[in-house]
Amino acid sequence: MKRVALILCQAVCALQIGVAAAEKPAIPAKLAALLAATGEDRKPVITPEQRTYFEGLNDHITALLSNATETEIITRADHLGSILALGLRPQKMEVLLQDNCILCHTDPEVQKPETLFSLSPPAGARPHLNLRHVVDDVHFARGLSCSGCHGGDPANDKLEHTHVKEWPGTDRDKNRAWILAFCARCHSDPALMNRFNPGLPTDQLAKYKESPHGKLLIEAKDPRAPDCLSCHGVHGIRNAKNPLSTVNAKRVHETCGACHANPVTMAGFKLPDGSPLPTNQVAEYRASVHGRALLERGDLGAPTCNKCHGNHAAMPVGLASVSQSCGLCHAGNASLFDGSKHKKAFEEHKWAQCAKCHGNHGIVKTHDGMLGTGADSMCVDCHQQYAKNNPECNATAEYFHATIARMDEAWSQFGVVAEQLAMRGLDVDPIHDKLNELADTIKQARAHIHSFSRNNFDQVVAPGNKAVESISALTDGAKTEYRSRQLGLGASIVLIGVMMMAVYLKLRRLERQEEGSLR
Amino acid sequence: MYYQPGEATAYESMRYLTTKVPFGWLMRSVHCWSAHLMIISLVAHMFSTMMLKAYRPPRELTWVTGYIMFALTLGFGFSGYLLPWNKLAFFATSVGTDLVKSVPVAGDWLLHVLRGGPDVTANTLYRFFALHVVILPLLFVGLIGIHLLFVQRQGMAPPIGQKVAPRGMKFFPSFALRDLLLWLFCFMILLVLAVFLPYGPGIPGMEWELGEKANPLEPAFPGIKPEWYFLWEYQLLKEFPPHLLGLEGPQLCLLVVTLLLGIWAIIPWLDRQAARNEPSPSFSDFGWGAIVFLTFLTLKAWDIGGLQPVDSPASIKVISRTCAWWTLGLGAVIVAVRWVVYKHRWFIFTGAALLHVALHGLLGLSYLTAGAIAGLLAVIAVVTRVLAARRVKATVGASP
Amino acid sequence: MRSETDQKPTRRSFLDLLLGVSVVAWLGSVLYPVFRYLKPLPQSGPVGPTRLTATELTKLEKDGFVIVPFSGKRVLVVQNAAHQLLALDAKCTHEGCTVQYLAGESVIWCACHNARFDLDGRVLSGPPPRPLPRYTAERQEDGGVVIVGERTSA
Repeated sequence: MKRVALILCQAVCALQIGVAAAEKPAIPAKLAALLAATGEDRKPVITPEQRTYFEGLNDHITALLSNATETEIITRADHLGSILALGLRPQKMEVLLQDNCILCHTDPEVQKPETLFSLSPPAGARPHLNLRHVVDDVHFARGLSCSGCHGGDPANDKLEHTHVKEWPGTDRDKNRAWILAFCARCHSDPALMNRFNPGLPTDQLAKYKESPHGKLLIEAKDPRAPDCLSCHGVHGIRNAKNPLSTVNAKRVHETCGACHANPVTMAGFKLPDGSPLPTNQVAEYRASVHGRALLERGDLGAPTCNKCHGNHAAMPVGLASVSQSCGLCHAGNASLFDGSKHKKAFEEHKWAQCAKCHGNHGIVKTHDGMLGTGADSMCVDCHQQYAKNNPECNATAEYFHATIARMDEAWSQFGVVAEQLAMRGLDVDPIHDKLNELADTIKQARAHIHSFSRNNFDQVVAPGNKAVESISALTDGAKTEYRSRQLGLGASIVLIGVMMMAVYLKLRRLERQEEGSLR
Repeated sequence: MYYQPGEATAYESMRYLTTKVPFGWLMRSVHCWSAHLMIISLVAHMFSTMMLKAYRPPRELTWVTGYIMFALTLGFGFSGYLLPWNKLAFFATSVGTDLVKSVPVAGDWLLHVLRGGPDVTANTLYRFFALHVVILPLLFVGLIGIHLLFVQRQGMAPPIGQKVAPRGMKFFPSFALRDLLLWLFCFMILLVLAVFLPYGPGIPGMEWELGEKANPLEPAFPGIKPEWYFLWEYQLLKEFPPHLLGLEGPQLCLLVVTLLLGIWAIIPWLDRQAARNEPSPSFSDFGWGAIVFLTFLTLKAWDIGGLQPVDSPASIKVISRTCAWWTLGLGAVIVAVRWVVYKHRWFIFTGAALLHVALHGLLGLSYLTAGAIAGLLAVIAVVTRVLAARRVKATVGASP
Repeated sequence: MRSETDQKPTRRSFLDLLLGVSVVAWLGSVLYPVFRYLKPLPQSGPVGPTRLTATELTKLEKDGFVIVPFSGKRVLVVQNAAHQLLALDAKCTHEGCTVQYLAGESVIWCACHNARFDLDGRVLSGPPPRPLPRYTAERQEDGGVVIVGERTSA
């Protein structure tokens, strides 16, 4: 019986396999031979992963692959394997299989090591030989492959094409201005760009020409000046949102730092005041509140170099535009400062507004010690020098500091109290509501010190004081509630105690009576 | 009363109950405390029954009904735990029900039945709610009736060796009032605990702060542990490697646990000596061995003596050692008291359990290797002992 | 002998009285919390809609928005130019500051990093990574406003 079932089962399985095989057209002989080929170690050259990828390809792609083997552009199993190993989606695979430049330049039999593109170029080879970069490139995805920059006809399988015809014959590393023009052929042509990515701006070159970088390259012909490729890469230009892109938010500081953090490259460049251009910006930025938000917490909203300096038109942030720059995000603070007495004084002394107290690349998280007249105070230095006889200022600073410190203290203390009350099983939701209100007021108060006006500050702080009062009342209420719970417990324990005693006495009496009656 | 099962309401209604409803906090606190105290007293009752051999004929069925009721109580605990629909409950239930998958053949089906679908969802919540308030109570009431009926009919079991039970107390007033006194005392303790520690004593596996609402989309966080009475099983599962003897670890573990629990259920029929109303030291020792076994696993599940991070190999080693010392200390006390006070001379199971702990915790052997060695030694010792006893009997029988 | 029998009834009756009173008192002490527990609260239930208080309502009329506590969170209730009611989580998805409604610009604004959201909670500009979760607010026949709950499909 069992045997019959087994045979039946096998028959059904065989039938199913037969049906499946009938649906899929047979793989042409040459392609099949490559897929089945074994290496010197007698193992199949095509790995199981590559095989699975192949089996998932649609008929069109399989036909293209087969065509490449029939025309003997792909003749080796390892060559086929290196293409399958890319694991490309169909659209990209189609581009690749119709591009004889790539098909030929990935064939280890035909190419010399310095012209062979592969997934793992040998150590020391130039990075542009990495095949992964080529197929990840934004241009490749839109059908713009090797020939788009290097020239030639990718449909041709003979070596008739004119290699790098459009490039300068000599000198192309010394005077790199041709690169700008080369990229701009397309990127500054609105009609052309519209075909590929209508939303993409076409003003990059115009901006770049205005920037110190552009002037350095075009006018001064400085070999250190960056061109398009310096930031975007050669092969493997990716969308800025791609984490692997050199211009992705998280990597911008590295890309800029490649030059700006290198004292050798930056030697000789000077600030307007004549001092040498610093090279510690990247290090400072990494440790700053912005750098840590972006790099450690992954807050992609946090600014990196280009947020303040611009990208294609990168330039120093001018004295007058510091508060504009910071105000992009810290809008409230910038406008409060603009309305304050300090605005005029800062302009007279040519101080860089926000940066005067907070610094620039190395901005650290603010703390309340920066207020008032203590050791970390931001006020004291300038005020001693320029506004010595103004006791009102010191009093205001002290007042700001003391008020915020008092609210902050109340907030953290009542937070602990609320925690304790919650552990005792009391309702702390209303307390948390008020604590949130207080926290909001503290944040606002910290922003509003930038008005440097006591009146303004007091208006903002008023709800906070109210919140402290109600929190105090609420916690007192909760404590009273807890006390009444304990009281209730005490009362019921006394009751139970009395009852237990009564029951015990009753029991003794009844038992004694029984003994008596028995006797 | 105020509880509303359902994904959008369960947690909210619990929150409302504990914060806004007058005395709602007290109700929940008393409920939780009494649940835990009930399990504690059931464990105590079960082991005392075990040690005093109160299960011997004709009371085998009383033992079995008690056994089932204990299982139902654990079911109460497990189903009730999910109902507030908070984070901890959600994940603990996910992990706990997942174990059912290891049951051969019907595993997946059982899992679906238990959860009302492939995952823990609102369906699970409804099922558990029904279990907790309808199905389990009905079963429990029936069983408790039978259990009490047995006790009433057969009376309390007299201690071994005593032929006749002492004359029963009159139910009223003597028994009823004494019972009332004890009940009042327990009630008082319960109130004090409920008011002063509304969220439990703070022992892991014995706390019931609501915390945050469950979010099924969130990934599970590390260190999810069940309630304290399931900790031993949780720890035992962790001791099994993913694959062993051609089975999956959890499967094998489930097999071992089922075997042990099965033995536990049929003890009244296994213990022939007690059935003859003779002392049966081997079964007392089996009970004590079980206590040692459960204690070590529970201590270990609490990560006692753990370093940071708790689940690093170094930390686990230290935990095993620390818990082994504690368990050995407890074992030493048990053995000493039994030796001196009760004049016990049968220690094979306790000894094996302690050896197991020592080999694992102090010598660093894996839990299962140590268990295998200790188990093998115990079997050899028992067999030798039984053979020796037979020979003695034979010679005694032959000589006169 | 005689004196003992005389005394006994009084002592016994005192004991019975004590027993009776303590049982009644104890029952009272148990039943009081139970009755208080059973009697439903006059306000809305655990998950029912939260009604805005009178002060909150006037603030809504005056400023065009108000921030209301709602099941442990803070909800921003906005009345837009077309007198429609909208409700959103008041906690900015960037750093958790409390947002506010700028009636003139018809946007929700977070002062901390100048983030702007539209009235559907979508990020218009600034650093927030996600839109603001939305709630449902309704105006009742008597003019009161209730927050009904979180909107699951945005």
